Amino acid sequence: MNLFASFMLTSMFMLLLPIIMSNTQLYKNNLYPHYVKTTISYAFAISMIPAMMFVSSGQETIVSNWHWLSIQTLKLSLSFKLDYFSIIFIPVALFVTWSIMEFSMWYMHTDPYINRFFKYLLMFLITMMILVTANNLFQLFIGWEGVGVMSFLLIGWWYGRADANTAALQAILYNRIGDVGFITAMAWFLANMNAWDFQQIFITQHKNLNIPLLGLLLAATGKSAQFGLHPWLPSAMEGPTPVSALLHSSTMVVAGVFLLIRFHPLMEQNKTMQTLTLCLGAITTLFTAICALTQNDIKKIVAFSTSSQLGLMIVTIGINQPYLAFLHICTHAFFKAMLFMCSGSIIHSLNDEQDIRKMGGLYKPMPFTTSSLIIGSLALTGMPFLTGFYSKDLIIETANTSYTNAWALSVTLIATSLTAAYSTRIMFFALLGQPRFNSLSPINENNPHLINSIKRLLVGSIFAGYLISHNIPPTTIPQMTMPHYLKLTALAMTITGFILALELNLAAKNLKFKYPSNLFKFSNLLGYFPTVMHRLPSTMSLTMSQKSASMLLDMIWLESVLPKSISHFQMKMSTIVSNQKGLVKLYFLSFMITLTLSLLLLSFHE
Amino acid sequence: MSMVYVNMFLAFIMSLMGLLMYRSHLMSSLLCLEGMMLSLFIMMTVTILNNHFTLASMTPIILLVFAACEAALGLSLLVMVSNTYGTDYVQNLNLLQC
Repeated sequence: MNLFASFMLTSMFMLLLPIIMSNTQLYKNNLYPHYVKTTISYAFAISMIPAMMFVSSGQETIVSNWHWLSIQTLKLSLSFKLDYFSIIFIPVALFVTWSIMEFSMWYMHTDPYINRFFKYLLMFLITMMILVTANNLFQLFIGWEGVGVMSFLLIGWWYGRADANTAALQAILYNRIGDVGFITAMAWFLANMNAWDFQQIFITQHKNLNIPLLGLLLAATGKSAQFGLHPWLPSAMEGPTPVSALLHSSTMVVAGVFLLIRFHPLMEQNKTMQTLTLCLGAITTLFTAICALTQNDIKKIVAFSTSSQLGLMIVTIGINQPYLAFLHICTHAFFKAMLFMCSGSIIHSLNDEQDIRKMGGLYKPMPFTTSSLIIGSLALTGMPFLTGFYSKDLIIETANTSYTNAWALSVTLIATSLTAAYSTRIMFFALLGQPRFNSLSPINENNPHLINSIKRLLVGSIFAGYLISHNIPPTTIPQMTMPHYLKLTALAMTITGFILALELNLAAKNLKFKYPSNLFKFSNLLGYFPTVMHRLPSTMSLTMSQKSASMLLDMIWLESVLPKSISHFQMKMSTIVSNQKGLVKLYFLSFMITLTLSLLLLSFHE
Repeated sequence: MSMVYVNMFLAFIMSLMGLLMYRSHLMSSLLCLEGMMLSLFIMMTVTILNNHFTLASMTPIILLVFAACEAALGLSLLVMVSNTYGTDYVQNLNLLQC
């Protein structure tokens, strides 16, 4: 009887302590961020112990604590599923969060509400942990909604800015549409399998699982910003850089992918769902890679890069490789968070300048940031034997050698080369060449918080892929033999992307930019998707409801049809038909004469 | 017939004369209309009470209700004329074709 479950639950409970302490004096002094950061580092250390236990013995645990309620035949209790996915994800997430907390101690140093910022980040982390360790759909939904709400609060951190409020609202609305799918799946499972526990769902045989799986796919589309529900992710860059690094690169947006990975026993049998997932992921990764090519905001480029990698993860689920998708989640967290932190370092040093057309020549003043940005970009594009290679290259190889949709496959390969292209664009514009920024900003990266946090993630970006992929228990066997041209496809596409982008940037560096071409406008305006979809459906539905409710019902049926039409008709008719001249006194006198005359005549009649 | 009935019948005839022969104000004809209603009401009540027509005792009340309605209608017409012309002179109705 080892302490597996105890260590894990201790690690989870430790995260709650700073929230509980927020009512006391500790919250009010300026050591609170340091306290939160240390708590998370200790929680990471403690959660490594169950991870080691799992690595060495393959032990998985389900902890069922507290029976909450029973609704007729449905039993809801607090249960934690500590299996392959959660045990490996939790240390990775805690490590990345530790680095981000330390980074935000430098980045948000001058913010008067820094304690509240750390509390929000911690609450987000707790709800993410709830999501990842949930054993039943209800607990997962609690975590799901929790990360959505904390994302709203954190994106709108600088709430005085109208764009930030719009972006936060956009995130909530798009996530809500995905939640409809989630609740459909929950309702279907409740009605047909009478359970919200994963174990019962996976055991029960059922013929046609299309409806709940479609609902879960919709939920993943909303939360992980797949094509159709994707505009909230680039808009979410209105939040502070630590928020972008934590939520919108490593943790929250992988919740949708994580949900699909959790349900992989159900998705294995359903070919239709796999094809749908594959095509959705393929179109997402290509579309967002195209959009990333012409953006000018460094955070937006990295956000689109995240969206593209999420599409790649969905493609991996579509070719029936959930474990590879999970490996990509874990490795992607390292270098993407580091990319965001490097861009945060650049932004802060250039006095809040986010436009890459106004950066340049930073490789001399900021050597550490430069090298970590380059290493992060190389890891992102899948350079051999860095972190991204172990997951991304495996994905491309498996996709190449599997019996799947050729269009989705070729689109994924094109997106891989575009990844290299926009990474080169960031490096070229931000780091190389002559400086284009104001010369008076003090460029300083000497703060130990900044250096240590980026250094930690740098080491992770280089070695984590090797360490993780050599220590996890073997699951699905990767394809070992393939022709040499297939094996080198990913590398060839990446090198093509690099060389093309570098040549284009160098050749067009000093040319004048006259009129944007149609393709440029398509890419820069995000494929016209937000322009059309944010304005047209809402205007149409509001106009239609106003016309039908107010004009049709109120003004026509209730007012015009009977009352007003009758009065109008009568007035018209009376003016047309009557030929009286309004001589009222004469008419009344005629009554009287008639009366008198009749009285006289009739009284003297025998 | 008895003197009471003749008296009330005469009051009715007086009001009718006043309704049919008026000089300028529309309001005077409305007042005479009210007078007609009043004399009718008294006549009806006295007849019913004297002859013990018990079941017909509700007719004066109904007559009162209808009299009130028509008074309201007449007043609204007066107000309409007065709104357009400022006064209720009858010669206004011949003045402009509206």
